[in-house]
Amino acid sequence: METDLVPLLRNTLAGIIGVVLLAWFVSDEDRAIRSTRVTGPLSLILGVLWLGMVVFYAPIEKVQGIVQKIFYVHVPCVPAAYLGFLFTAVGGIGYLRTHKLSWDRVAQSSAEVGVLFCTLILLSGPIWAKPIWGHWWVWDLRLTSILVLWFIYVAYLFLRGLAFGSDTARTFAAIYGIVGTAGIPFVYYAIDIVQGSTLHPENPARAGLPPEMAWTLIVGILAFLVFYFYLTAQRLEIARVEEQVRRTLMAEQA
Amino acid sequence: MSPPGPRIAMAVLGKDLLLDLRTRERLGHMAVFAALVVVLLGLTLPTSRAARSDWIPALLWIVFLFTSLLGLSRSFQAETEEGAVAMLIQAPCDRGWVFLGKAAANLIALFGIQLWTALLFGIFLDVDWGPALPAALGVAFLGAAGLSALGSLLSAMSMFVRFRDFLFPILLFPLVLPLLVFASRMTATALEGGAISGLAWSALALYDWIFGCIGYFVFDYVLED
Repeated sequence: METDLVPLLRNTLAGIIGVVLLAWFVSDEDRAIRSTRVTGPLSLILGVLWLGMVVFYAPIEKVQGIVQKIFYVHVPCVPAAYLGFLFTAVGGIGYLRTHKLSWDRVAQSSAEVGVLFCTLILLSGPIWAKPIWGHWWVWDLRLTSILVLWFIYVAYLFLRGLAFGSDTARTFAAIYGIVGTAGIPFVYYAIDIVQGSTLHPENPARAGLPPEMAWTLIVGILAFLVFYFYLTAQRLEIARVEEQVRRTLMAEQA
Repeated sequence: MSPPGPRIAMAVLGKDLLLDLRTRERLGHMAVFAALVVVLLGLTLPTSRAARSDWIPALLWIVFLFTSLLGLSRSFQAETEEGAVAMLIQAPCDRGWVFLGKAAANLIALFGIQLWTALLFGIFLDVDWGPALPAALGVAFLGAAGLSALGSLLSAMSMFVRFRDFLFPILLFPLVLPLLVFASRMTATALEGGAISGLAWSALALYDWIFGCIGYFVFDYVLED
């Protein structure tokens, strides 16, 4: 198998799956929640397959040794985290335009799951960096931008938490989600000026991985994306139940 | 665009400036706070001028950021205390203009504080602004503009939220990080006597422009509730 076919295949596959699931998710909340029946077992199967491939199939890297295997956890978190933040902005815009609560729930659930994957990126990175670079942290473009992203979306969740359940909270959260997304290119550019060159390994799509490693990575990315959708749909359901409980309580008080 | 928009923006600007000048509360607190921090820096930084000169641009902008935080978080307090928000909401124009008036008033206040901080750095920390002055003033103005655009929007939002004093910096800091990086780098270049690249100027101006526009367009939603 040609090595440059791997990134092409991976990107196309991820793109198609992403677009299809995106359309599926936002068009109907019930369907999104029902999708857990598929994504739940599928993420279990893919997860087991991925773990098996990481341990038994992917070779141990010659220079870095066993530590390199963190790569199969670290990299698949990235698309899931970005997808989470993308949905946060999409849900926010949808809510501002239509004032439909289901959009707000999409934004909230995506932000929480996005922060989860972002945290995993930030935790798994330093474990690899310490033995390889000799430092837990360097002020590198990719590391720092992910860290700032994490801060932006944690602030978003704080904002939601402190103004719980009101229309004001939803509106402000939507605005902050949009402002945060607008800030991301500046964050990238600013850190780029500071650091200039990057220490971080190249994008694996361009680095020409051996097929065993590439396939393990592809399965990992798929597994994490399916898991992302599973978690988001679960969170959506919880958010909807919360809303129903709140309504019932209000109706009883009235 | 409804015609009274600019007039209302000017009225909000005029009112805020008048309030700042009459009460002198906001400006006074910011000025004293900046002076205190500069004194703390003077006593804690290494004494040799060479050792601390590398730190000066970053410290200048961090002092400025913290000082601005005090002023910005108060920017909408007067409106909520006197129930003036209800009047602002009734302004017969797109509410984006109210935002522009607020942001302009904050820009003037922050730019003034920025000059004051720079003066304090000159006096207490021995910074020689001389030849760097025109460029540094430009950077200070653009930096203050970005900070007031984003700060006015976020401070209006945090007005209606619990624990606003805690929330406001957490909302603001990650988003002003690029501004702080651009501005402190540009100030450093100016102090070293180098020419600031056109790219850096445009990055800072673009930042101001984008967040100014976002503020203008979303402010309607902020005042909605």
